Amino acid sequence: MSNTLASVQETLRQRARTLLEDGTITYLIGWEAGRFEGQTTPLILRKAADVDRLIYNEFCVHILAKYPLSDKNIEGTIGVVVRGCDSRGINLALKDGQIKRDKLYLIGIPCEGMKDARTGQELKKCLQCTHRNPVVYDELIGDAVEDGAKVDRFAEVAQLESLSVDERYDYWAAIFSRCIRCKACRDTCPSCTCRECFTDQAAMGWQGKETSLAENQNYGITRMFHIGERCIECGECERVCPVRLPLMQLNRKIIKDAYELFGEFYAGIDDCTPHPLDHYLLDDVEEFM
Amino acid sequence: MSLEQAVEAPQKTAAEAAEVAEDWRPKILAFTCNWCTYAGADLAGLNRMNYPADVRLLRLPCSGRVNPQFVLHAFQKGCDGVLVCGCHPGDCHYSTGNYFTRRRMLLYRRYLEYLGIEPERFQIRWISGSEAGKFRDTVVDACEAVAKLGPNTKYREEGR
Repeated sequence: MSNTLASVQETLRQRARTLLEDGTITYLIGWEAGRFEGQTTPLILRKAADVDRLIYNEFCVHILAKYPLSDKNIEGTIGVVVRGCDSRGINLALKDGQIKRDKLYLIGIPCEGMKDARTGQELKKCLQCTHRNPVVYDELIGDAVEDGAKVDRFAEVAQLESLSVDERYDYWAAIFSRCIRCKACRDTCPSCTCRECFTDQAAMGWQGKETSLAENQNYGITRMFHIGERCIECGECERVCPVRLPLMQLNRKIIKDAYELFGEFYAGIDDCTPHPLDHYLLDDVEEFM
Repeated sequence: MSLEQAVEAPQKTAAEAAEVAEDWRPKILAFTCNWCTYAGADLAGLNRMNYPADVRLLRLPCSGRVNPQFVLHAFQKGCDGVLVCGCHPGDCHYSTGNYFTRRRMLLYRRYLEYLGIEPERFQIRWISGSEAGKFRDTVVDACEAVAKLGPNTKYREEGR
């Protein structure tokens, strides 16, 4: 069976029609065409008659893992189209107890990378992707593809680490000064699933309202450490950022350190392995004696 | 600033630019665990040990109570250095608190260093209730190191 996008789309539509008609799923979360050429947008497909709206092409950039979590009263089963990144997000939600596995029907698609509609180039997040095949699914459309990042995903972190602390501070201060605190990175992040984000706990006062560098730094630094090693490296924060902040350079630093200190770990590749900060070992690295 | 620009930017030190008053002393916040380090500090006092008055102790039930955000907040509100102290691994009053702290702080210390905070400004130490001498030495060393670095200008909230 070939893995061409057109054939995957055709199979996906057929399966969606069957699953909706026989009542296996209540609705399917996939993608549909956007208003502009090459643009796509997530789609909640409820009727089998609308199945032709469902598309799958090289511009399906949105990660769908967080959409099922918005449904607080799930009737029946939700169908979700998952690629590697989506499936890791789903696994994380399962591990965190955000959703039950029997409420989900996952249609897996091995993914060879998505393209930016503006440039036609493969997205950075896809070049750095380590898991292209879905890691959890109920059925798979297409053959498995080769896993592994096409570029060194820690290259930027290593480059930044080679700078002095003052240079690094200036670099990050310039970046955070551009942040507008729209919180799009939080809203899209499949790892950010707290019921109430620290930035919304106004009475606690974790996050001030002032438009200032210090508040931007507080938001960006704390949010990224809250996710920490739970990051599934989908790169959505960076993609959705309206001011194009290189946020994955922060995540990757934490992941890189977690690898070096606690061993190689990929968040979300299953729903049971504890995360590095979830547990401890008696003989962990000791630096604080 | 792009990554390339940052790599090529001329070296400049934010701390160098700031004028340092002659009588300036560092302001250091020490998060101390109630069961070990706080008792250790008390013992240092009982034994009439001298250590700089630049350190402010903040007593917490456990070093595991130290939310990483507290550390960032301390720097933002004007501290020049932060110490996080707790029981030795294995001695935690709550059995496992400091094991989690250890993992968390291993990552957070590297993370803050990556974000531009000098590693000397943020230190973590295990000090037991009987280690009055170690408490004094830790505080003396931390104060000296931070005094050498000068006032912290990074992550400060200004105009407040």
